[in-house]
Amino acid sequence: MTSNSDELVMNPEVSRRGFLKGCTMAAAALGLSDAMIPKLVEAAANPQKPPVVWLHFQECTGCTESLLRASHPDIGRLILDIISLDYHETVMAAAGHQAEEQLQKTIKEYEGKFICVVEGGIPTKDGGVYCKISGRTAMDILADVAPKAAAVIAIGSCAAFGGIQAAEPNPTGAVGVRDLVSGTPVINVPGCPPNPVAFLGTVLHYLTFKRLPETDYLGRPLFAYGRKIHDHCERRAHFDEGRFAEEFGDTGHKAGYCLYKVGCKGPETYNNCPTARFNDAGVWPVSVGHGCIGCSEPAFWDMMSPFYERLPGVPIPGGDGIVASAESTGKKILGVAGAAIGIHAAVGIGKRLVKGKSDDEK
Amino acid sequence: MNYERQYVWSILFRLFHWALALSIVVLAITGFYIHDPWTNSVLEGGGRFPMATMRYIHFVAGFVFTAALIVRLYLFLFGNRHERILSAAPVTGRNIKNLFTTLAYYSYATDRHEHRLGHNAVAGTVYLITYFFVIGQMLTGFYMLYPESATWQSIGGPLFGIQQQARFIHYLIMWYMFIFVAIHLYLLIWNDIKSPEGMISSIFTGNKFKPKHDRA
Ligand code: HEM
Ligand code: SF4
Repeated sequence: MTSNSDELVMNPEVSRRGFLKGCTMAAAALGLSDAMIPKLVEAAANPQKPPVVWLHFQECTGCTESLLRASHPDIGRLILDIISLDYHETVMAAAGHQAEEQLQKTIKEYEGKFICVVEGGIPTKDGGVYCKISGRTAMDILADVAPKAAAVIAIGSCAAFGGIQAAEPNPTGAVGVRDLVSGTPVINVPGCPPNPVAFLGTVLHYLTFKRLPETDYLGRPLFAYGRKIHDHCERRAHFDEGRFAEEFGDTGHKAGYCLYKVGCKGPETYNNCPTARFNDAGVWPVSVGHGCIGCSEPAFWDMMSPFYERLPGVPIPGGDGIVASAESTGKKILGVAGAAIGIHAAVGIGKRLVKGKSDDEK
Repeated sequence: MNYERQYVWSILFRLFHWALALSIVVLAITGFYIHDPWTNSVLEGGGRFPMATMRYIHFVAGFVFTAALIVRLYLFLFGNRHERILSAAPVTGRNIKNLFTTLAYYSYATDRHEHRLGHNAVAGTVYLITYFFVIGQMLTGFYMLYPESATWQSIGGPLFGIQQQARFIHYLIMWYMFIFVAIHLYLLIWNDIKSPEGMISSIFTGNKFKPKHDRA
């Protein structure tokens, strides 16, 4: 069996068929009419490939991996085909000084023209010492490269919103690109990992129309993040008809019922997973029986967890970080209020027994 | 003691009150169902759509709730003198004094209290806090109802954060409503026993009864 990467190495050329297919997928994701596909193809086939500098900071390289190791490698190869990847620590051949020279050369030669892709959060605490590449902090590198780029694409939830390392209490002070870069347009393609189609669509949109696609208030392209998972989910009929998996492995779960009660965050998450799907095999988390964890939303590691509960717990102040579920906390507070009412009423009755009725009551 | 009948709550005010109260009851029941759907229809093809129905009722009641809120905001500005915002907000000297005397009265420290036709200042303060949460409930609700609207995103995003945070706040405010309703009902009954001004019936008839000698 040849793995995809072997295939990629052995056959680095994208077939024309694969090329058109990739462009068509991107056009579909962008919501463009098929009349636009030739334009996308033309832009993608332009021999003047836009140079791309790909920066890796605090991350797991999962975004790159999922992009390049798509089961159907055409998208990964298509991306490598339509852009000129001048600097990418994971896939470039150069290393050490050679690599850094290449970076400097690109940003000087193509100033204002190259695309900067950032993968990973940027630690800002203690002068940013928690992530260094060739002796420079991530903050320094970003401050050097981003202002010279034509546009910055923040790929993955780390680069977009700080990522998992920004989870409470965020020990390294990790933030997303938009928190540090102003002046250069920044677009967020979050997800853990994001769908390669969302990334490809963003790049092709930029190449075809010479501007970044329209975004929501969090800087995410609307073509991919404009609607909620829940509103396109194939289990939605079960939700509306009140058929739920009560726990993993029960009859409801086996019958493919809605995962709302086992903590699915589809109702709170903007993404196109149910329509774009992953790995060219037509799957996405909910289709294989696991609820959405809301990975393309800011702070999902804090706000969307516990992943198997509907809502987060309430941290009780001063309670040594005790987290109770919101409902039991609510019930307790209601109980205290009830007890207070009871005591108040008892005092009133007691007082009347001792002192008799007040003037008003007579 | 002699009592005289006084007209206090206008028809619009009473309509607002009952629209708000009934919508909260409906919203709490349907909201709780949305939070934790306690039925599980294993029967397929029954076509009963319990979740869709509950959500539908929740949203309709949500609009009634919002309409009631708008009427109240209008009455704060243009209602009769008992209904206006300054009548009980703890910002005037008279109301601040009343806040403390009422607290003393409520904690059985004294039986003396100012006979007022409108809200006392404790009620006025708590109601203001409650309207703050009511507005929060309305805003989180609409933010969730129109998730794709750029307008609601630009309001809800900066105010509450992501949808999940709005949902969480929406859920917590529901518990505030429960506690408010419990204390509200208790204090009404308590007041009705302590001083026969007819506080409870006033929200049906609009009239309250006042001792003849002192006037508010
Ligand atoms: C006192 C008033 C209200 C109460 C007690 C209440 C309660 C609730 C509760 C408990 C939930 C479920 C949250 C969860 O656990 O996921 C909910 C959801 C929701 N509420 Fe309310 N709510 C109120 C007012 C409103 C208003 C005014 C609106 C605006 C129209 C609204 C719209 C919604 C929406 C859109 C949802 C999400 C439903 C879904 O996505 O399935 N609510 N509400
Ligand atoms: S599985 Fe999740 S996204 Fe799908 S209908 Fe149920 S709650 Fe919504």
